[in-house]
Formats: sequence, structure tokens, C-alpha cells
Amino acid sequence: MPRFEPSSTQDEVLFRPIEQPASRNFQLAVVALGSIVLFAVFMYVRQLVRGLAVTGMMQPVTWGFYIISFVFFIGISHAGTLISAILRITQAEWRRPITRMAEVITAIVLAIGGLHPIIDMGRPDRLLNVFLSGRLQSPLLWDVASITAYFAGSTVYLFLPLIPDVALLRERNKKHRWLYDFLSWGWQGTERQWQVLHRAINIMMIVVVPIAVSVHTVISYIFAMTLQAGWHSTIFGPYFVVGAIFSGIAALFVAMIAFRSAFGLQAYLKPVHFQQLGKLLLAMSVLWTYFTFCEYLTGFYGSEPAEMKTLLYKTGGRYAPLFWTMVICNFVVPLALLSHRKLRTIPGILAASIAVLIGMWLERLIIVVPSLENPRMPFLTHLYFPSLTEISLFAGAAALFALGFIVFAKFFPIVSVWEIQEGRALALQETEERVSSYLPDEEVARA
Amino acid sequence: MPELAHGGRWYRRKIHALQVLSIVLMWGFLAGTASWMFNLVRVSRSLGDALTASVGISLVAVPAYTLVASVLTYVFFGLRRGRRRPEEEE
Repeated sequence: MPRFEPSSTQDEVLFRPIEQPASRNFQLAVVALGSIVLFAVFMYVRQLVRGLAVTGMMQPVTWGFYIISFVFFIGISHAGTLISAILRITQAEWRRPITRMAEVITAIVLAIGGLHPIIDMGRPDRLLNVFLSGRLQSPLLWDVASITAYFAGSTVYLFLPLIPDVALLRERNKKHRWLYDFLSWGWQGTERQWQVLHRAINIMMIVVVPIAVSVHTVISYIFAMTLQAGWHSTIFGPYFVVGAIFSGIAALFVAMIAFRSAFGLQAYLKPVHFQQLGKLLLAMSVLWTYFTFCEYLTGFYGSEPAEMKTLLYKTGGRYAPLFWTMVICNFVVPLALLSHRKLRTIPGILAASIAVLIGMWLERLIIVVPSLENPRMPFLTHLYFPSLTEISLFAGAAALFALGFIVFAKFFPIVSVWEIQEGRALALQETEERVSSYLPDEEVARA
Repeated sequence: MPELAHGGRWYRRKIHALQVLSIVLMWGFLAGTASWMFNLVRVSRSLGDALTASVGISLVAVPAYTLVASVLTYVFFGLRRGRRRPEEEE
């Protein structure tokens, strides 16, 4: 007998979005998001025909919106696997309704983010050169290796905990039966199968943490390994990882609040979940501010001319409005809304999360563009303005992310059903035993 | 919890073939990545480029892919072995 058997007749509300016909709102959302994606595809085809001249990029600013979006989307991907893995490792019981959403974010956003360097190449056929004659000692190739490893790892990490839920769907549904038969991998819920699954999830939750950290460290290296002013920094690795987790939690909040409202998940995503994760967002905001301060102070104190020129260009020059908006969005707003329990409400958290997403996108912009507009060599400086093509492709990527998420929710439970039921059946006793094991024995207390 | 309680023999075989194919694709992906890295190490050697950097990256990346593919394969075969025998179902 397995120690726990999930039931396909409980938690109906989690199956409802999959089994009920698509609502009018769902159809409207799919059409609206699909239209944005199609327009972006059209603009990309236009870029393929006309070349990169349709973008705002020009010497010396050869990286613009595409690389900003690449860094931003890969950063958001840290929401998922990393947060889910950390919560599983630390056995945080409040993780149960959150982990699935977090893992889905990673898989979708990584695929979208990974496309951006190819879009930035202008000619996608040039990708072949990476395979035939790339230089593995280039940080750009480290990116290719680490992002593909992270994508493979996080897809497997999403898939494994999905298996028991897919088996429940296989029992309940006639629709898409072949899909659920295929993905359930012969799951019957025997004790041996549970052992195998738990062991594999335990291995993956350890493995994905260093992979996730390495991904954003390596992404920072494409900047930090150059001698460009504003980029050549030893703290860029951890600074990027902190920023990635920060923006990832904010994206996770937006997804949680949207699905809570759309699917009526108020009983599963309770205020306590928002309170707990809200504290983590606040901690990341403070940590991000500390890293930003360290980064700028080091450049300022050194007073190296090229470094100072870029620093003043960001903080007091053309990019000053964006720089200070970034500071307000990433530090002032989260601090104001999240530091007090009474303000850490769901609308407050949503406002803080949207501010953080805007702020972190601006942070990526402020890292990439001003340094390129201030080259060390006496090039003719070109001021960068994004073109309609770049803006459309950014909007298309954001729409594709939302579309991917809602399509996933139409086929699979967005909250892990078996983990919720396992929590009800076993977690209370296990937690009690675990907490008892942390404390001194009663005999010691009496002595 | 039944497994493929419905569907004929051909349906079951098709589903099984697709499941095996997904594992084969994962290992194919790993083999492709390993051969890509081997090629880049070869190119770097022929060009007299920094060989140690290429070898170092390969030594980190290939085992990471192998571990992920191995976990997936372990689950695939583990779930097959862990199924109930027909007499247990009765």
C-alpha cells in the first residue's frame, strides 16, 4: 500500500479550468495575445527582409532592446525553478500551491529569452557558425551551454512533479486522453513509483540550484569580461543573480494574483502565501539596493575618467530620469509597500511587483545601453532610440509568455493537486515530528 | 489508479513508442551537445586557441546534461518497474 494516494474527486476547482469549455474571457485573451504575437512575427519577418537597419541599433550601440529583453527574461526565469527548489529544500510547507506556477514560468520564459540573441543576430542562419566554428572560451558560448542546460533541467523539474497530476487527469478526462496517457509514463501510484519519483525530485531540486545560479552569473560575464566602462566589475555575477531572483519573484506574484482571480483560487492562494513571499521580495529589494550601491560606489571612488563619464551619464545625464525611476521602482516602492504588515496586502503586493518588473527592465537597459553610448575609443557617439520593430518584438515576447501560461493552464492544473492533498494527509504529522526533532528531548528539559 | 485501462493494443504500443522516443530524444540531445563541444575543442586546437578554456567548459557542461538525462531515464524505467502486476490489480 502506498503511504498516500491522491484522489481525482477532490479539489474540483483545480480541474475546472481544464475540463470546462473555454470561457469568453479566455477566448478573448487568446485572440488578443495571439494578435500581438502575430504582429511581432510579421515585424520579425520584415526585419529579416530589410536587415537590422530597421532597428535603432547602430555603431557603437550594437546591443539594444533584444539583449535587454534577453537578460530580463532569463532573469525572470529564476522565479521558478530556483524559488521552487529552495522552498522544497527548506521544506517550507507554504510552498505547495506556488511551486507549479513558479516552475511553469521558468520553462516558458527561458524558451522566449533564449530566442532573443538569435533575433539580435539579424540573420538566424549565422547561428550555424556557433555550432561549426564557435569559440568555447567566449562568454557568449558559455551562455549557450548554461541556458540549454538550465532549460533541460528546469523542464525535467517541471515534468516530474506533474506526473501524478497527469495521471489524475487521465482518470477524469476523455478529452486529450492520448496526451495524458503519454505524459503519465505508466503512473499507477504504487509505493515503488512514489519512491522513484520523490528520489528524482530530490536530486533535481539540488541540481537545478547551481545550474540556475550559473546561468545568470554567465549572463553577467558577457558584460563583465569586457573592459567597457560600467561593465567591467567583479560583483556583476552575484548582482545579476540577485536581480534575477528579485524580478522572478515579482513575476511570480503577478502570475499568482492573475490566476487566483481568473480561476477562483482564493482557497488555495491565501493571504499567508502572499505575506511569506512578500517578505522575500522585500529582502531581495534591500539586497539589490545594497549591490547597486556597492557597484556605483566602487566606480565613483576610483574616479577613472571613462568610468566616471559613464556613471555621470547614467545618474545625471541622458539616462538620469530612467536611472532614478529604476531606484524608485526597485527600492522606494517595495520598501514602502512591503515593509509594513498592514500594507503588505494583495493589491499592495501587486503594485510593488509591477513596479519591480518595470524597475528591473530599466536596470537592464541602464546596464546595456549607456556603456555602449560611451565607448573608450573616440568613435562618433550614436544615441540609441528603439524602433517600432524592437518595441513590437518586446511586446510580442511578453504576450507569448502570457499566452504560453494560459495555454498550459488549459491542459494541466496550475496548482499541484497531489502536493496539496499530500500536505493535507501527511504534512501536519511530518512537520510535528520534524519540529520535535529540532528541539532538545523532554528529559533534557526536565533535568 | 489504472494505467491505459482503455484503448486497444495498437494504441498502447503507440503510446509506449512515443514515451521511449522522448527518452531517446533526451539522450540524442546530450549526444548532440557533447559532439558539438568536442568539435569546438578540436577547432580551438587546430587554431592554436586557448584549449584549456574549451576543455574546462566541456568538462562542466557535459556532466550536467548527463545528470539530467540520467534522472529522466531513471524515472522512466523506475515507473515501469514499479507498476502493479496484473494479479495485484485483481
